[in-house]
Amino acid sequence: MRNLIALTSREWKAFWYSPVAYGVGAFFLLMQGWVFWLLVAVLNDPRVDPPWRMSQFFFGGTFFYWLSVLMIAPLLTMRCFSEEKRTGTIEVLLTAPVTNWQVVLAKFFGAWLSYGALWATTAIFFGMLRWLTPLDLGPILSGYLGTWLLGGVLIAVGVLASSMTRNQVIAAVMSFVLILLLFSIGFLDVFVTDPESSKIVQYLSLLDHFRDFSKGIVDSRPIVFYCSVMAIVLFLTVRTLASPRWRA
Amino acid sequence: MNGVIEASNLTKRYETVTALDRISFEVRQGEIMGFLGPNGAGKTTTLRILTGLLAPTEGSVRIDGLDVETHSLEIRQRIGYLPENVSLYPELRVQEYLAYRAKLKGVARSKRRERVFEVMDRCAVSDVRRQLIGRLSRGYRQRVALADCLIGRPSILILDEPTVGLDPHQIRQTRELIKSLGHTTTILLSTHVLPEVEMACHRVTIINKGAIVTVDSPDNLRRRLTGRQVVHVELQGDPSAVEEALKQLAGVARVSRKGELDGFTTFEVEGQAGCDVREAIFQLAVSRRWTLRQLAQVQASLEDVFIHLTTHEKE
Repeated sequence: MRNLIALTSREWKAFWYSPVAYGVGAFFLLMQGWVFWLLVAVLNDPRVDPPWRMSQFFFGGTFFYWLSVLMIAPLLTMRCFSEEKRTGTIEVLLTAPVTNWQVVLAKFFGAWLSYGALWATTAIFFGMLRWLTPLDLGPILSGYLGTWLLGGVLIAVGVLASSMTRNQVIAAVMSFVLILLLFSIGFLDVFVTDPESSKIVQYLSLLDHFRDFSKGIVDSRPIVFYCSVMAIVLFLTVRTLASPRWRA
Repeated sequence: MNGVIEASNLTKRYETVTALDRISFEVRQGEIMGFLGPNGAGKTTTLRILTGLLAPTEGSVRIDGLDVETHSLEIRQRIGYLPENVSLYPELRVQEYLAYRAKLKGVARSKRRERVFEVMDRCAVSDVRRQLIGRLSRGYRQRVALADCLIGRPSILILDEPTVGLDPHQIRQTRELIKSLGHTTTILLSTHVLPEVEMACHRVTIINKGAIVTVDSPDNLRRRLTGRQVVHVELQGDPSAVEEALKQLAGVARVSRKGELDGFTTFEVEGQAGCDVREAIFQLAVSRRWTLRQLAQVQASLEDVFIHLTTHEKE
């Protein structure tokens, strides 16, 4: 546990020391700022009586939301292992008395917390709204929870991709492709006619699980689903790290 | 076998190359073992296997009696490893980095600061402790990495070319440091620089093309080649007559002509084992009235031994 904390705090710091953090941060804030601006514009328009909740608009209601969620994960995780492999610091890291699980979890938590920190900055939007108008905070909080959990899955995938190559660009592209594949499993539903298989496809869809969160429903099933996907992907990362083929 | 490090039949095969071919060796408690070989001989591969970074294709390593593959974590706790290409996190400051490594290596919080200062002092990096590692010269970085090796007070040090990139002064300091550690710590040190072995090591393992050529002390190695005396003789006289006469001398095994300069001819005379032929050569020159300008015994250096062993003895 002490090792895990030491490693995670090192990852967290390393992220904020790198210029990537600020590029990604700027990109992210631009996207979210725009989404917020759109939200305010829609809410202000007396002709529109939106059939959806505000949280549904902000969390998943726009293209920009998905763009930032899907793009951020590869950018946050691309350096995780690739950078250490390229510079050779991985050798020093892996000869320290730490387990592979500790190393992988630290990389994951470091990126996941950074992702959380980026999203936390958007809380200021709701702070402003709440100052001006009464606000139901429940669905907003569940929206954040869903976004964070979904991000966890994508970041786990990014960490896996990063453990496979010493090139950050390849890591980023690979994780983006994997994320898109994982993400589009749900779209296969269109081609499935058998109702039983359709249920399976829907269950595996990252998107469907997210919808409840943005409506303000916190169900244990999607939480379990997201956490198990993270665990599986991180397990694969540990295996990758342990296999001699990918080492050094 | 009572070695601290025991490697038996280590083999490492990559798809097309065999990097190591059934090598076995042991390093004893408190010993400084030199691992000597030309580039590409398999030194780094061996060291990586010892630290558990690589898994051998065949064979096994036991450190303090524990198998590296099954007790990796305990063994890493006892080893300080300095990799071949030192790389450290460039965005950290020296003291910060060492404190982080101390934490990872399980140094108790109350002792961490003291320990960090102790190793910075030993490795002469105290003066740059507040600098970013990325801004340091190579020599400093090398010594920061060495400080990192020592910070967990390991009982075994595995150093892959510890003096590469240092200036002569720093090289001497590092060697002194290694020597001073040698009393309490078992050290395996790889190098392709011979003086390093001569100055610091108790025993040398010479490795070439993935196989061990020989294991011996530096003194014994030198003796093995100097067992036969080689003398350079430079004198004036009819070269073929001189050569003939030298060959007739008792105890001379071989004579060869090396060159000519201002009427003097140089011969290389090799004596039979255990014979000193210098006196006989002098008496010969006097009796024949040949002017003798040089009579010198050639000291075989470890370098010769090394070249000799890695080029001839293998076949």
